Amino acid sequence: MGAAIAGAGGAGFHRASDSSVAALAEQAVSAALEDCGLERSDVDALLVHIGSPRGLDYDEMATLLGLDVSYALQTWSHGRFAASVIINAAMALEQGLADCALCVAAFKNSTQARIGMESHAAFFEGMREGGGPHAETPYAGLAAPIGGAALSTQRYLHRYGIEREKLGAVALAQRAAAALNPLAVLREPLSAADYASSREIVEPLRLLDCSLPVDTAVALILVRSERARTLRARPVEIRGFQGLHAGPNEFIFGAPGLGVNQADEFDWQPLGAAEPVFRRAGVTPAEIGTLHCYDGFSPQVLWTLERFGFCAPGEAADWIAGGRIELGGELPVNTSGGHLSEGHSNGWGQTLEIVRQLRGEAGERQIQGLDLGMWATTLGDAVIYGA
Amino acid sequence: MLELRDFPGAGDPARLLPAQSAESAPFWNMLAQGHLMTQACSRCERARHPIAPICPHCGSAEFGWRPLRGSGSVHSWARYRRSYLPEFEPLMPYAVLCVALDDGPRMFGRLTSGTPEIGMRVQAVVECFAGGGCAIAFDG
Repeated sequence: MGAAIAGAGGAGFHRASDSSVAALAEQAVSAALEDCGLERSDVDALLVHIGSPRGLDYDEMATLLGLDVSYALQTWSHGRFAASVIINAAMALEQGLADCALCVAAFKNSTQARIGMESHAAFFEGMREGGGPHAETPYAGLAAPIGGAALSTQRYLHRYGIEREKLGAVALAQRAAAALNPLAVLREPLSAADYASSREIVEPLRLLDCSLPVDTAVALILVRSERARTLRARPVEIRGFQGLHAGPNEFIFGAPGLGVNQADEFDWQPLGAAEPVFRRAGVTPAEIGTLHCYDGFSPQVLWTLERFGFCAPGEAADWIAGGRIELGGELPVNTSGGHLSEGHSNGWGQTLEIVRQLRGEAGERQIQGLDLGMWATTLGDAVIYGA
Repeated sequence: MLELRDFPGAGDPARLLPAQSAESAPFWNMLAQGHLMTQACSRCERARHPIAPICPHCGSAEFGWRPLRGSGSVHSWARYRRSYLPEFEPLMPYAVLCVALDDGPRMFGRLTSGTPEIGMRVQAVVECFAGGGCAIAFDG
């Protein structure tokens, strides 16, 4: 047994869409149903990632989109739950709680103020009892997710003696990939000089280190593997997964041991092939053909590479030099342009890209002979997909 | 005792403070009098911040309040070139520090003046808000 993505659909990525979130969601859902040839009435589970006010809550989505389900779930309105939603759908299928699971992320950022501003829905998370989810501490002036990201980046550069300009390889690689992706919002080529002159937002991070907020919707239909093989589209198998980590030594920015916020500073080594996600899939990091990761800020790509043992802690900036994560390189990363250039889809644009790549439908971006694609984040969650 | 000052920005950042609880009130009440305190575990003696019901390291619920000198070293810093909070806008560009206190946990606070550097020595001060409440900042 096992589960597979049978159908996938999206509503594109837009700086500001005139459409409602429900209309965007419907566009993605109908495309996903058409992709696999299933009917709306076949869907018996609905798993929603981002709810109100940016997105559409599960109950509203089921009502407005005419979905009659006996298993519904909705997660926190943060990007970090993309894999968890898909993992939960796979588990619901394996446990027999559902036969056809629809995962949807649909939201508009254009109706919100800039993230970090008081009129943005997430602002008040900074006043949580223990501090914000990205270390926001607004009474100390530490506002917006970029503040925590900048603190971690500064510490990371210092600890490993990394030259700041080396971070630019992430933005450049992903923009080069986005130039080949008709769906990406930012497609103009970037040079190292463009990166070097990019405006500082919160030092040491620049505008080109930051993702681009968009309006989007993505829908995936998951069924058990044997059924997926009978459907219209080529299935993308879920080979292994592991959940989101949390605890005193977990902070969203940085691999464990970097020691920002209250997390301890220590010499941490990745498990690499011993990570449960690799063991469950029966593969090693070296066998992964393309990696897709959460890139709200460009250093998150480095930290994800380190966390999953693609390279040693502190070595990612050198490891990515020379085109290693570009299309044609040893490990192409975020080949649709990722959040930095395609648009910040909270992980769902990357998941669509994994599906396209594994089906051989990625056009000019197609990685030849691809067997395995992986999604992972700095918080330790991951999914390995197979063709 | 830490030096008490008026917050040099605009308006009243008290609205940016987390809601107080029975557990957190001692920290904030003492800070308003110039005393920076931390919860220190009675079993493993480790200090913790922010306020937590048990020691995240050993699990003990027993703790005492330990006074901190407020001196420490800059563990990391980030300098704001874009303004997100109107209260801090007159202070732009300002650096927020993650400070490893000599005798306690790490704490965040604005650098009151000067250029931040990792490893630089800093001293906590208390900045008092117009409408009540306060927060720490660091002198370089």
